[in-house]
Amino acid sequence: MSREVNVLVVGAGVSGLSCAREAAAAGHSVQVLDRARGVGGRCASHRLDGIAFDLGVSFLHGRDPDFLAALREVPGRKLEGWPRAIRGSGRPCQPEAFQAGEERLAFVDGVTAFPKHLARGLAVRARARVERLDLTREGPRIVLEGGEEIEARHVVLALAAEQVLRLLAAVPDLPRPLASVVALLETSSSESSLSLCAAYPAGTPVPPWDACYPEDSSILQFIAHESGKREAPPFLGLVLQARPSWARRHVDDPAWPEALLSEAGRVLGTWTASPSATHAHRWKFARTDLSSELSGPVLVQLPSGASVGICGDRFAPGGGVEAAWISGRALGRRLAALEVA
Amino acid sequence: MTAAKDALQALVVRDRDHECDGFGPARVCVRVVAVAELPTRFGHFRLVGFWNNRDGKEHVALVHGDVVEGDDVPVRLHSECLTGDVMGSLRCDCRDQLTEGLRTIQREGRGILLYLRQEGRGIGLLNKIRAYALQESGLDTVEANQALGFRDDERDYAVAAHMLRSLGVKSVRVVTNNPDKIRQLEQHGVTVSGRIPHVIPPNEFNRFYLETKARRSGHLIDLTEERLPEQSDRVLVEGMPP
Repeated sequence: MSREVNVLVVGAGVSGLSCAREAAAAGHSVQVLDRARGVGGRCASHRLDGIAFDLGVSFLHGRDPDFLAALREVPGRKLEGWPRAIRGSGRPCQPEAFQAGEERLAFVDGVTAFPKHLARGLAVRARARVERLDLTREGPRIVLEGGEEIEARHVVLALAAEQVLRLLAAVPDLPRPLASVVALLETSSSESSLSLCAAYPAGTPVPPWDACYPEDSSILQFIAHESGKREAPPFLGLVLQARPSWARRHVDDPAWPEALLSEAGRVLGTWTASPSATHAHRWKFARTDLSSELSGPVLVQLPSGASVGICGDRFAPGGGVEAAWISGRALGRRLAALEVA
Repeated sequence: MTAAKDALQALVVRDRDHECDGFGPARVCVRVVAVAELPTRFGHFRLVGFWNNRDGKEHVALVHGDVVEGDDVPVRLHSECLTGDVMGSLRCDCRDQLTEGLRTIQREGRGILLYLRQEGRGIGLLNKIRAYALQESGLDTVEANQALGFRDDERDYAVAAHMLRSLGVKSVRVVTNNPDKIRQLEQHGVTVSGRIPHVIPPNEFNRFYLETKARRSGHLIDLTEERLPEQSDRVLVEGMPP
């Protein structure tokens, strides 16, 4: 039977988009779905009083020449080397980011510039939440919330491990190669992320650092001097991010934004605790735990000739956006090598 | 200080500020950092410590005899395997391969064993344990093993080629049963003048190869369909039919 699309990618984060691009470039018809309003996943920016706040990934870093080239293709101004001025000696979320040979940059238009650029020319459907994955005799079928069904020859799950597990666990008689991937994903976990954007009244003194990694806080891991990334910012903006261990315990506690603010007040000075506006965001399943990293994406061929692929920041060494992009591209290339229907 | 040791010590001074474009896609660049004597139960070696400028990884070469500026130097590449080399695991043949590599070099009177440490940010031991666990649960598949895939051979060859360049070796005879190893080294600019077969003497732990006639390449003792190659070298046991 004919399938509506050749490659259906679930998840429009960097990994899913990079996979979709490769597959599309090889001539596959590709459809990307995401439950959110826009693309990017954790490469997300939120506008607060006219300023973009990067509330997940704050800056991009890597050493893979192709990845670095992909970043530099993105239109718009870049801040090479950001963050340069660091306050505090706490452990960064991605310690490799500051190792020799690693390049860092931030986008003046916000980190979403990167996924938006990756998504150009792709068929991306936003606000499409996947409810179920069926593996029928003819091939995979995605069932959306609301009941709509989409059939595809190849399905790519570019989601957090927990979300992949939720979809695969509901599939009856899971083929053995997928069962083994489930066993693999069950040995690993994602970290939660709690992120608070805070705007301060005009005239608030601008801190002399780009990023702060507090060394003596059990609550705060990272504070970004967010407005410092923007062109002529009218006011001071910070993004506060919780430590993963703290985030895990407080992800369902509605009081977490206040706790982050009061801790920022302790770390940076009391002025920090009283912003003029805030926006809170949580990711229950954010970045991969680095002890769980794998070396490549998975593409399981089904007897019907269809296949199920899985990629994401877990499926390449190093974690982070670079790993997400590399794993997506690797999977896209494997799909590209398959027959184009 | 002997002349051979002098020549190696001189490399430390030479490499103090070494930085080059590097080898392979990862632009691997190593430099000689320290040299010392290493008497072993297999004979006397000098241990040459390398530092990878790109990712801070350490590698070592076990050197026997005069190799600097040498031609036709016997060279064995060994990829670090903690469970096999150190713990004597029977899930692999790494220890047999390591000790036989060292013995071959002693027999030849000179040579180098390049001991290549795990590369690739964390991939390695944990995923090897995961792979073993999958095997035990009967859930190991080619796909899962590829995702766990714990060695980047390509990078190993780049590191090896640079180490040989650093040691000033002009041409090598590779101790291996794997012709691809020779091709890979040549692609990285190593002059290969010959091959020395890598044949392990039979012992109580590898005798089964003689019985099963080593149907496959790879090296896991567990005779399941999927292998997790670690030394990328086919196991040959003395007396085994080719």
